[in-house]
Amino acid sequence: MTDSAATSAPQTAPEASASSAKLWRKVRRQPLGIVALLLLVVLGLAVTLGPVIYAQAPNRTDARNTLKAPSAEHLLGTDELGRDVLARVLAGGRVSLSVGLLAMVVGLTIGTIAGGLAGYFRGRTEVMIMRLVDVFMAIPNFFLILVVVTAFGNHPITVIVTVGIGFWAQMARVVHAEFVKVRGYEFIEAARALGATHPRTMLKHVLPQVVPQAIVLASLGVGWAILTEAGLSYLGLGIQPPLASWGNMLQNAQSYLWLKPELAIYPGLFIAITVLAFNVLGNALRDMFDPRA
Amino acid sequence: MPPIRVFRKARRLLAAALLLVAASALTASAQDYDPKGSLTFATNADPTLNPWNASAVIESNLINTILFDQLVRYDPTDLRPAPGLAESWETAADGLSWTFHLRQDVTWSDGEKFNADDVVFTFNDAILVKELGANRASTFTPVDRVVKVDDYTVVFELNRPFSSLPYYLAYYSGMLPEHVLKGAENPLTVASFNKGKPVVTGPYRVDEFVSGAYVRLVPNENYWGPKPKLASITFNIIPDGNAQVAQLLAGGLDMVSITNPALLAGVSRNPNLEVIRQSQNIWYFVALNLDDPRFQDVRMRQALLSAIDREAMISAIVEGYGVEATGPIAPLLQAFYDTDVAHWPYDPERAKSLLADAGWTPGADGILQKDGERLTIDMPTGQFGYLVPATLLVQQYWEDVGVEVKVDTIEWNAFIQKAVVNRDYDAMLAWWSTPPTPDQSGYFASSAADVGNNIPNYRNPELDALWEEGRAATTLDGQIAIYNQVQQIIAEELPYLFLWYPDMIAVRNTRIGGMYDINSAANFQYSFNWFVKP
Amino acid sequence: MTAYILRRIGLGIIVLWLVSVVTFFLINLAPGGPSAAVSFERTASEREALLKLYGLDDPVLVRYGKWLGGVVRGDLGVSYNQGLPVALLLKQRLPNTLTLGLAALLTATILGILLGTLAAVYRNGWVDHLVSTITTLGMSIPGFWLGIVAIILFAVELRWLPASGIVSSGRSADFLDRLKHLVMPAGVLAFTLMPNVVRVTRSALLEVNRADYVRTAKGKGLPPNRVLFKHAFKNALVPVLAVLGLVTTALFSGSVVIESVFGWPGLGRLAIEAANGRDYPVILGATLLAGLLVVAVNLLVDLLYAVVDPRIRHD
Repeated sequence: MTDSAATSAPQTAPEASASSAKLWRKVRRQPLGIVALLLLVVLGLAVTLGPVIYAQAPNRTDARNTLKAPSAEHLLGTDELGRDVLARVLAGGRVSLSVGLLAMVVGLTIGTIAGGLAGYFRGRTEVMIMRLVDVFMAIPNFFLILVVVTAFGNHPITVIVTVGIGFWAQMARVVHAEFVKVRGYEFIEAARALGATHPRTMLKHVLPQVVPQAIVLASLGVGWAILTEAGLSYLGLGIQPPLASWGNMLQNAQSYLWLKPELAIYPGLFIAITVLAFNVLGNALRDMFDPRA
Repeated sequence: MPPIRVFRKARRLLAAALLLVAASALTASAQDYDPKGSLTFATNADPTLNPWNASAVIESNLINTILFDQLVRYDPTDLRPAPGLAESWETAADGLSWTFHLRQDVTWSDGEKFNADDVVFTFNDAILVKELGANRASTFTPVDRVVKVDDYTVVFELNRPFSSLPYYLAYYSGMLPEHVLKGAENPLTVASFNKGKPVVTGPYRVDEFVSGAYVRLVPNENYWGPKPKLASITFNIIPDGNAQVAQLLAGGLDMVSITNPALLAGVSRNPNLEVIRQSQNIWYFVALNLDDPRFQDVRMRQALLSAIDREAMISAIVEGYGVEATGPIAPLLQAFYDTDVAHWPYDPERAKSLLADAGWTPGADGILQKDGERLTIDMPTGQFGYLVPATLLVQQYWEDVGVEVKVDTIEWNAFIQKAVVNRDYDAMLAWWSTPPTPDQSGYFASSAADVGNNIPNYRNPELDALWEEGRAATTLDGQIAIYNQVQQIIAEELPYLFLWYPDMIAVRNTRIGGMYDINSAANFQYSFNWFVKP
Repeated sequence: MTAYILRRIGLGIIVLWLVSVVTFFLINLAPGGPSAAVSFERTASEREALLKLYGLDDPVLVRYGKWLGGVVRGDLGVSYNQGLPVALLLKQRLPNTLTLGLAALLTATILGILLGTLAAVYRNGWVDHLVSTITTLGMSIPGFWLGIVAIILFAVELRWLPASGIVSSGRSADFLDRLKHLVMPAGVLAFTLMPNVVRVTRSALLEVNRADYVRTAKGKGLPPNRVLFKHAFKNALVPVLAVLGLVTTALFSGSVVIESVFGWPGLGRLAIEAANGRDYPVILGATLLAGLLVVAVNLLVDLLYAVVDPRIRHD
């Protein structure tokens, strides 16, 4: 190990380009992953740029024109209050995607910090933090989210934080395990011996090793967060109307299954496709980062 | 064959045929119901089998109506008070007491006789004890106590006239067994009674109570009335309305109350189901907080009502199953319902001009303003029934006339706390469900402002006096005259912005016979008539 | 070994206590009160009387103390909205969730191991891709949506299965009837849990396959299938065991929504009803019980793990 550490230093430059070429090869071997990524990009653009291109307002009610079939004016028809379905799907997408991404970021951040500190410093810090992780993993996610949402209400920010909190413990466990593993590597000891401070060691040397795992978990985490938000909104505990989210659109649609089933199909389909894409992407990334592939 | 022979043969055949028809008619009427027939209904949570327990609300009301007979029933034709456990009643000349004469042939399901002790106990030891927090105790505040005159006569002693007492005694007001509950510290919370097999006077009693799954009733052998015709009645516990409809369509339920008429589309495809419209005394409204000076100007209230297209709302929200409302007395109360009152048809232009009269002019961004203050309305709404979609529609209508409306959707309990308990709202949309009596003072009287059911905090001494006169009036004509005045004032003053009277819709399997097409509170008082067609 | 067990149990109890603290204080920060007290048609004086009756005018710490004292004695309090002891409600509902959970877990595990094995054996073939598609779908489709669709298809249109509930009335002893009610909810739940098991089985088998001792066995000329089932399988089961702990937690979460869709009278539905009705004692009891079960399962898994893999014991 020490030998390769000594000999690898002068060869960093060509190795870097060699490893990026290797990376590109790995990427190319994941066609599904690329498709998923493209799909997500298109979706992201659609929901962001949607209101610019498609002029219908998602919240404008029109009680005399409810449940209409698709027309030139309303490309996917109108819902039970006369609102444009396509506009709501796009608006709902904005909300669901944002909630999903932000919740994942919350969970990722808290989880990484907690897991990292625990895995790096070990000892009492580790015990305390991992006990907390155990507590949060002992309360089934939904029960915990139920409790928090009932206590703190369902303002979008609260929902984001709550869903994120349902996720941090898993993140912390993984990061903790990785940190423990990497910390034992000799190059870390070498860096410390050379005078690197704890923060520097953690950030510059240990953390980068954890990044691949973190990215995979992040991708899967977004999928999970979107599904959780949908479930919460379906139960009436998540994002509240008039703000549209795919989850609460599904809840409204349930009463209209007999009159206009498409109202339930569109949001459900979009949820499934988006989560599918994130999951496929996550799997592809995992395969890509797998050193044994 | 010679003609005379044919004729005789034909006569014989005709006689035989007639005999056959007569015989089958006879057997048919002897067997015009299936003696093994059972009915299954749905309720949305585990019921509490005690009509006075605070937790016994919508999920318990109907099953309690079957189990616990009341002193008074609703007549199935006109919903006026009719005899129940009490055969007759009269009020004293000064209106300060009511005497009820009880039936003498009633036995509880455990064999004990029903008598005045039960009535006295139910009121003096349960309903009128403030600390116990009984359901609807506030409607009986004019009652001081109930006195036993003899085994089958009781007197309600009042502190003020209460002409609508019989109506309220017919509204989910079953009698409790004194001999079973008298020893309990709190007669309203005896779990073995409320969640088990209570002792009852009704035509059916509880046979099985499986929490979270169903409650099964079987005929009460000691019932005093006509013999019940069903082998059993089951209430399946299904919290979700959509799941109830699904089970109805799948054949697992016989009758479901539809809260969202949109679900009827699925029902119409099924030939075994019929849709029953039952009108009831429910009125949906928008309440404006009358402690807010902006809303104290009657023109503001009239404007805000004119800005709402109620017809469109009725069509969108309840699929047309509702009637535009003018006041708290629904068309159901045929004797009292007065249409000769002010109407406020949908007219945004009139709304704008009324607002202008009140001093509100459009600002630079289109929102009305007065003396530099923008017209912004905070409108919380709770997740129940269709409150949320209705509120969103109202928001749109008001924004179209230049009002800025902020809608805040909160959970049902939190909404009650905020809007009803703390009166922390500018506007809110909700409903009142009341017994079928014109006496609606509890929702309008000054005495009910701030802490009672007068949610807008409306204060009008003239109207207060009229409500009292209504209660004291002893003749029907006298009452009609007074309540007409009441309705005219209310329609002009608009203490609430009246939206609509919803039809209660039930979907019923056509194999059910013997039901009255009236509201459930009354229909379920006659469960002994129900049968399954053979 | 005993020290390890005792330590794990001790930790479990601490975790449970922390769960109770976290839940209790979170709940009590909520606005609104028990729904019985705040029902729309009640006047202020009626509400006050009820709140006093429920002891809700005591300060928070006092209430927690009283509650915890009760728990230690086995008394979980009385439900506000149902008037029944919480312990009784939990006792009534728990078997239903356990039935649903076990059925779903069993289905998910058996199917999951089966599919995972197939995917590993026919690695990178069409079977592998098919399995991969199924599992990705299982992770992506919202369970409640699938449930609604299943009800429409199997209950309303085809009438093969009942739409909801646990048993038809009057037939509480009919095993077949109960089974028919169990099929859809357990099936849908299993579909959402299966992907984890498949994934772990497949990767564990592949990893073990590459291990030295397996290569040695193959090198010695043993037929590959025999190698797979005799050597690899046993060792691959270890990480599967680990994921079962995770799956159980997911099971409780999933059951909350599924129980709602199918009207299944279990713990999850009790928790939602209690949450909506601000029925504090019930939410506490239900969450504590769910936590207890998860801790118990994880403990069991850890112990089995220690039995199987001696390296873990000296953590």
